[in-house]
Amino acid sequence: MADRIVKAKGMIRGEAAGEALVCHKAFSFLGDVDMDTGVIIARGHEHEGVSIAGRVMIYPETKGSSGGCIVLMVLAKLDKQPAAIVLMKPADPNIVEGAILCGIPLLSEPDEDLLAAVPNGTTVTVNGTTGEIRWRKAT
Amino acid sequence: MKLTPDERKMLEGGYGAAKARALDYIIQFGEAFDAERLVDVIYVHYPAEMSIYKGLVEDLLEYAETGATVAVPTTTSTLACDLEQWDRLGCPAPVHDLQAKAVAAHRKMGMACTYTCTPQFLGYVPPKGSYIISVESSAIIYFNSVLGARTNRGGHLTRYSAITGKYPLIGYLLDENRRGTHLIRVKLAPEELRHDCDYSALGFAVGRIVGSQVPIFDFLGTPTQTSLLALGAALATSGSVALFHAPPHTAEAKTVDEAFQGAKPVEVHEITKSSIDAAFQAMTTIAPGDEIDFVTLGCPHYNLEQIRYVAEFFRSTGEKVNPGVRLWICTNRMTKQAAAWEGYTRIIEDAGGFVVCDTCPVESHMRISTCREHGLSVPQIRAMVTDSFKMARYVRDLIGCETAIRDRDSCLKAAISGRMS
Repeated sequence: MADRIVKAKGMIRGEAAGEALVCHKAFSFLGDVDMDTGVIIARGHEHEGVSIAGRVMIYPETKGSSGGCIVLMVLAKLDKQPAAIVLMKPADPNIVEGAILCGIPLLSEPDEDLLAAVPNGTTVTVNGTTGEIRWRKAT
Repeated sequence: MKLTPDERKMLEGGYGAAKARALDYIIQFGEAFDAERLVDVIYVHYPAEMSIYKGLVEDLLEYAETGATVAVPTTTSTLACDLEQWDRLGCPAPVHDLQAKAVAAHRKMGMACTYTCTPQFLGYVPPKGSYIISVESSAIIYFNSVLGARTNRGGHLTRYSAITGKYPLIGYLLDENRRGTHLIRVKLAPEELRHDCDYSALGFAVGRIVGSQVPIFDFLGTPTQTSLLALGAALATSGSVALFHAPPHTAEAKTVDEAFQGAKPVEVHEITKSSIDAAFQAMTTIAPGDEIDFVTLGCPHYNLEQIRYVAEFFRSTGEKVNPGVRLWICTNRMTKQAAAWEGYTRIIEDAGGFVVCDTCPVESHMRISTCREHGLSVPQIRAMVTDSFKMARYVRDLIGCETAIRDRDSCLKAAISGRMS
């Protein structure tokens, strides 16, 4: 077992740890997630039925309406928000607003393709201030 | 980020805890996008918390209790119901009752309760070059393009700009991001650009092409205030355009060359009559002669002159709205007061139409999601005729109805006959 560390752009500060929820397609908070439970409801989504609460979400980019920020805020009130968000592409203003208001770290554009490198469910630690993403790699 | 001594004082709590927290949010946002510094905004158009979104009004009420007040003139965008005639319009009481609580909270925070998508028609006309922050895509593009004020597409952090009067210097606040990218050669005859819905079609056709870039129009005929509003609203519907230039009608560039700031267009496109026809066809799913049950005018919200036009139409023809049709003329409460004083509201209501305030069909209880929550039948509208591509685009998915786009006179005639012309 060895620690893997990848650098990304720290967009919103803070440290968090959680099981990785690796989604290979663009994610929309408005429509893809149930606002009461944080469970992914998008039909045919690779993690349909799984809750995003407390997970470190890793996905390519955010899509969809600016309502996504509101969904994150509502989830945070219910304590069903993700622990952190890591985007492969540059972050859009709406998801940045959502992360600020929910107080969750947000990172973008990591040096390595995390969609391939991080196995879903692995415990990942992220630091939105330093931009560091860390996990245990099975050897 | 560089802060002024005063901003530093605000961040450290010198102006109270609410402003300190609000400024911290704004700074985090600015730092995420590498802003060098903050700027003072002179005006904010605020996303009024709508009761059709779970938790939003509750969050507002909680926030207003902190005693935070706005630092700059702030208007509020649309609500989920007409605060006065919600009942007549079929809005469930819980949607209204929760929504009504927002008004006192907005007042307590020092906002003007305009509840409109067209605050510029109420006299909120920020000068060219001024920094503002606005929500509502049709207002954003109008402020940026027609008036030459500078705003990004505001989101939920707009609240904290209102509280602090600050916003990071990023995006469309910077000269280099206001440069044109796409040259749109408009090959239309002046008579093909007559009605506001012609401009709406043009915007819809071009928005699809340019996405979130900055189009430059080389010809717009003889646009009025409302045709430029219609153009922008549609550009921000099929695309996410926040700024266009159309010399000499828009504020910033005197010529097409100037709009490109010396650079070459990234792309050049021609818009012909067939592009416009294709836009109309794309949003029209009702056949001529088919029955319709809803007509919407006032997307974006009508001004006094537009309401006068509708009143004059009914006064001069003496016609009535078909009993099977609901006609909504959407506006804001302040304009409706003026229309009432002029006698326009009375004429429209006597003819069987509604002058609707604070909201519009898309934002209302007629949304499928809200209907399901409150046990209303779906869809609330079967077939809507409107003169706005923005309205048609959104009601199609959010209300689940068929749509057709026609000019204003044809919309009114359809309301009278109950059939598509």
